[in-house]
Amino acid sequence: MEMFSHLALGFGVALTLKNIALCFAGCLVGTLIGVLPGVGPIATISILLPITFGLEPTGALIMLAGIYYGAQYGGSTTAILVNIPGEATSVVTTLDGHQMARQGRAGIALGTAAIGSFFAGCVATLIIAALGLPLTRMALLFGPAEYFSLMVMGLCFAVVLARGSILKAFCMIMLGLLFSTVGTDLETGQERLTFGVASLSDGIDFSVMAMGVFGFAEVLRNLESPEARDVVKGRIGRLLPGWADMKQAAAPVLRGTAIGGILGILPGNGAVLGPFASYTMEKKIAKDPSRFGKGAIEGVAGPESANNAGAQTAFIPLLTLGIPPNAVMALMVGAMTIHGIIPGPQVMTRNPELFWGMVASMWVGNLMLLVINLPLVGMWVKLLQVPYRLMFPAILIFCCIGIYSVNNQPLDVAFTALFGLFGYLLIKLGFEPAPLLLGFVLGKLMEEKLRQALILSRGSFYTFIDYQNRPISLALLIVAVLILVIALLPSVSKKRDEVFTE
Amino acid sequence: MNLNRIEQARGLRIRSTQDLAGGVFMVALALGAFFFAWDLPAGTLRQLGPGMLPKAFAVICGGLGVMLALASLRYEGEALSGWSWKGIFFALGGTCLFALTIRGFEIGPVRVPALGLMVAGPLLILFSGLAADDRKLRELAIFAVAMSAACILLFKYALSLPIPLAPWLLGI
Repeated sequence: MEMFSHLALGFGVALTLKNIALCFAGCLVGTLIGVLPGVGPIATISILLPITFGLEPTGALIMLAGIYYGAQYGGSTTAILVNIPGEATSVVTTLDGHQMARQGRAGIALGTAAIGSFFAGCVATLIIAALGLPLTRMALLFGPAEYFSLMVMGLCFAVVLARGSILKAFCMIMLGLLFSTVGTDLETGQERLTFGVASLSDGIDFSVMAMGVFGFAEVLRNLESPEARDVVKGRIGRLLPGWADMKQAAAPVLRGTAIGGILGILPGNGAVLGPFASYTMEKKIAKDPSRFGKGAIEGVAGPESANNAGAQTAFIPLLTLGIPPNAVMALMVGAMTIHGIIPGPQVMTRNPELFWGMVASMWVGNLMLLVINLPLVGMWVKLLQVPYRLMFPAILIFCCIGIYSVNNQPLDVAFTALFGLFGYLLIKLGFEPAPLLLGFVLGKLMEEKLRQALILSRGSFYTFIDYQNRPISLALLIVAVLILVIALLPSVSKKRDEVFTE
Repeated sequence: MNLNRIEQARGLRIRSTQDLAGGVFMVALALGAFFFAWDLPAGTLRQLGPGMLPKAFAVICGGLGVMLALASLRYEGEALSGWSWKGIFFALGGTCLFALTIRGFEIGPVRVPALGLMVAGPLLILFSGLAADDRKLRELAIFAVAMSAACILLFKYALSLPIPLAPWLLGI
């Protein structure tokens, strides 16, 4: 089996002492920052991005992936212990997880989440390994027109799957696309929308924008209201679920893994949908649905597995097609480009060690989470008790040093503050900033592919819907239109509201 | 804003100041972008010019903004809520202080010497820390020093990032 020889190569890379250490360090600091209330994976990765700059690419990506899992899992810990979801994917975990914690079963909830996540992570790693090669082969058949259509479809999914208003999500994506045009035009070398500022001629710096809009804006929002943190006092209780709990959780874990894994591959923000879908499903098929919301273990096991499976399969579009399906993966693109790697189908053929090493390190990372989180849970609880008045200056100094060290430019730090203000304005106006980042990253790729496609077709838009020569492009665009239409149909969008408000 | 719960229009009134402001904000951004992209040639479909996409995106953004503003007259939604002026002033001000002092700055007659992380770090923490309502000055001062020291150890020594520590004192 080809897949296993690839995995063997990957584990050869991932299991070197240095890479294990990097993976461990990534998971540890990722959890450390991600466990802070109000700091989700996107903010965590943006804050920690700079500490990977000094490493060689493979190590840096392994560490970043570790940071991602750590942050993702840290969000669940906060959800269970403090009732504050780190980000959208842990919203459902607060429902039953926090109730379990109040009943003195915090340890069981954390343990179930960790074991479910680990199982889901193992399965997702295998899925990535299995799908990697065929999808990459398919991607190599893609021309510029297909790529462009694929990205259009991805953005449509992002609009539909965003939380809140569709119109507002649309606004954010278009704004992201608009921002992506700032900088020197690649073909003519003309400066666009730079206002004569020299540091804008390379375009808006990706990390500056991410850190401002996600890190700083979040701090500003949290400063608005005096904090009310509901940290579970008292004992965490034992961590390993007993036999009865395990039996109850096993089927939800399996179902959650399947749902999350499939939805995670979707472009747009599929990973967010997984936990919601899993929770709804568990509640529907439960014998006694009234237990949900009052500390049902299925309500933790299913969504947490779906969460982790989706978080990981979201790597598939990025690694095989080079297209980030959500904002976190958009950050990964930024990180890869900083290290001189252009994500896409060529990565697998040109840097097989990097590709398979990263896939294998995903499994290692999941194991690390189990090792780090369960024994150290007492430490995380202590960390949760650090008052916000000290936490946010610490976040700020991390961000400032990080931003400064990207280019050694103090001006970048000031720009980040400006983007922080901008992000805060967006929050105040009820806009969700994640689609902005996605549009920003995809914008550059889209412009490039659009130009190539139009040059090849001698300026004819027909090339995108030419069903004889480019059936894939046409199919992708049809899917894009279909999901938009479906989302705008009243009956479906009513359901969508229910899913997201529940 | 919710597209589905269409309410019987009982006269035009603003049903969501948040959405109205959001719409106006989008339109303003779009107009700004369109204005600054005015000089850029749009090119032809065969050879897209540098101005084509910025202008196209600006037009779409503006259109969406108008839609959002109009929708705020029809659909119920959230109102604009209070701002954290303190946070904006202290947290972002602290960040700007860091930007000014880390490597020095010169704008016209104003000249800030390069003070390095040993000064910029505590300065940032002290100033931004004032944004919290429950601040305790002594605690904050101790934290500023300790956190800066930890950052110096982590970033300068453990991760060896080239960041100036104190050029005026140590020459690094």
